[in-house]
Amino acid sequence: MRTRRLAIGGTLLLVIVAVTAIGIGAVALTPGEVIAAIAQQFGISVGSPVSASTSSIVIELRAPRILAAIVVGAALAVAGGAFQSLLRNPLADPYVLGTSSGAALGAALAFLVPISGAAWELGGVQLAAFVGALLSVALVWRIAGIGSGEERIASVLLVGYAVASLLAAALSLVMLTSGANLRAIFGFLLGGLDGASWPRLAAAAIPAVAASLALALRGRPLAAFLLGDEAATHLGVNVQRERKITIALASLATGAAVALAGLVGFVGLVVPHLVRLMVGPDPRAVLPLSAIGGALLLLIADTLARTIGVPVGVITALIGAPFLLWLLQRARAGYAL
Amino acid sequence: MSAGYELLGARGLAVDLNGTRILHDITLAIEPGERVAIVGPNGAGKTTLMRALSGALPAAAGEVILCSEPITNLTRETIAHSIAVVGAGISLPFATRVDDLVALGRIPHGRGPSGASAHDRERAAAAIERVGAAHLVHRDVRTLSAGERQLVLIALGLAQETPILALDEPTAHLDLRHRMEIADLLTSLAGDETIMKTKRTIVAIFHELDLVREHFTRVLLVANGTIIGDGTPASVLTPALISAAWGISPERAARF
Repeated sequence: MRTRRLAIGGTLLLVIVAVTAIGIGAVALTPGEVIAAIAQQFGISVGSPVSASTSSIVIELRAPRILAAIVVGAALAVAGGAFQSLLRNPLADPYVLGTSSGAALGAALAFLVPISGAAWELGGVQLAAFVGALLSVALVWRIAGIGSGEERIASVLLVGYAVASLLAAALSLVMLTSGANLRAIFGFLLGGLDGASWPRLAAAAIPAVAASLALALRGRPLAAFLLGDEAATHLGVNVQRERKITIALASLATGAAVALAGLVGFVGLVVPHLVRLMVGPDPRAVLPLSAIGGALLLLIADTLARTIGVPVGVITALIGAPFLLWLLQRARAGYAL
Repeated sequence: MSAGYELLGARGLAVDLNGTRILHDITLAIEPGERVAIVGPNGAGKTTLMRALSGALPAAAGEVILCSEPITNLTRETIAHSIAVVGAGISLPFATRVDDLVALGRIPHGRGPSGASAHDRERAAAAIERVGAAHLVHRDVRTLSAGERQLVLIALGLAQETPILALDEPTAHLDLRHRMEIADLLTSLAGDETIMKTKRTIVAIFHELDLVREHFTRVLLVANGTIIGDGTPASVLTPALISAAWGISPERAARF
């Protein structure tokens, strides 16, 4: 089956890119050295013994960032694909319910609070971003009446837009008064994985991976939404319940990703479309393949970003926007966008 | 079928939409193998009746019976195994090939997280073949003509493999020839044996009274939110009832 072949090929490619990416940096390491250092961590010795500095570079410095890129890329792509299917809108992305503005406002407020270095290290900003993201979704949920049986998809999108605009206005005010913290807030808005460390990775990866996995496993009811709410009902789907579960899971995945990496754009919008061009619109194929594709794209973008020293969000936008335009131009027979 | 088995019916059914009573005092029973046309003027409640009979709308009073059970006792999944509803149209958010679309009709039969199985693909292909749309399998549904699209939607309903196939205005926006072809196809589909070892039951909202006379065994005439005529086409589609339902003079009604 095509989906399975793509999944296996994509995963192999992801492993190769990850090992290569760990080797790239101020101290260049060969894939052999990287594999030996990782194997040693699991108590397996491969080839010659690994020096303490090599081990430290691989395990402490680079591996968390590589894994963070993989987790964030996968979570954003799965959440984006799920929102696109659920809301039946090709322009939907993970931030469609105001998550981005909520997270940015939460992070900006956290930068302004004079907290000690310890709370900072433990990820005070990340936690504030996570809470901000989920609060904005909760607000949209409440106003749009999600789960009440009265909501309309168009109004969910409009409420999401309105809430995002409101929070963005609040963010602008905070930024105007933020003085020396402006640069840090701006950095969060551009997205970046510079702060990735094992504790932060673990804290964000658990909800991000769990929610993405749960979404990918719920592709069957989500597939029915492609035909519209009424048709989904006739295919045996409890539309109200599935909508609530999908929005909650996709928001959790997005919130965790944003907390770890700031506002990384385009991955969640472009990757599911690219996958649809290859396998069609069924979320049962789109979501798992988007996870692999999103991980690959963000990993490559982040490796470029740290090599040339710009925020990863700039790279994803620079790659993502022209790529989307190119896709629109040369869509393959049968699966035109 | 055992005596007293009720495939699809309603007893004293009333349905409200946004607080307004749309249907009232609906009582009917549909037998396996019947070809039932729901006819009536715009706004009479035909679509609402179909939605209520398929469990998409709750009853405000009375009840709907599906496979001898009150429909409120059945899960959505069980209902989806008994009745497939072909909507009046479809708008797809993404490019969707005909075979991929029709495979979505297999969703009620699916298990687990993986996509359409080889068996599902086979059943979907058989449904596409059955409606005579095999030449369209690799086309994007969004590029099909109205007639082709309607065939594909019927295949989507067939892929669900249910004893009852309900269709909301399957001839809307079609030209004369395509309307006749759809009516022929529905008659032919009603002759198929379904998974329940009975003939397939067709319930369709129709506007063309000439086609209804020719192709259906039974007519439900809906006007002002209730059924004012229920029986064979000859007994229901009389000048008197047509005149009453559509509010036209008996002389003009006699022309239909």
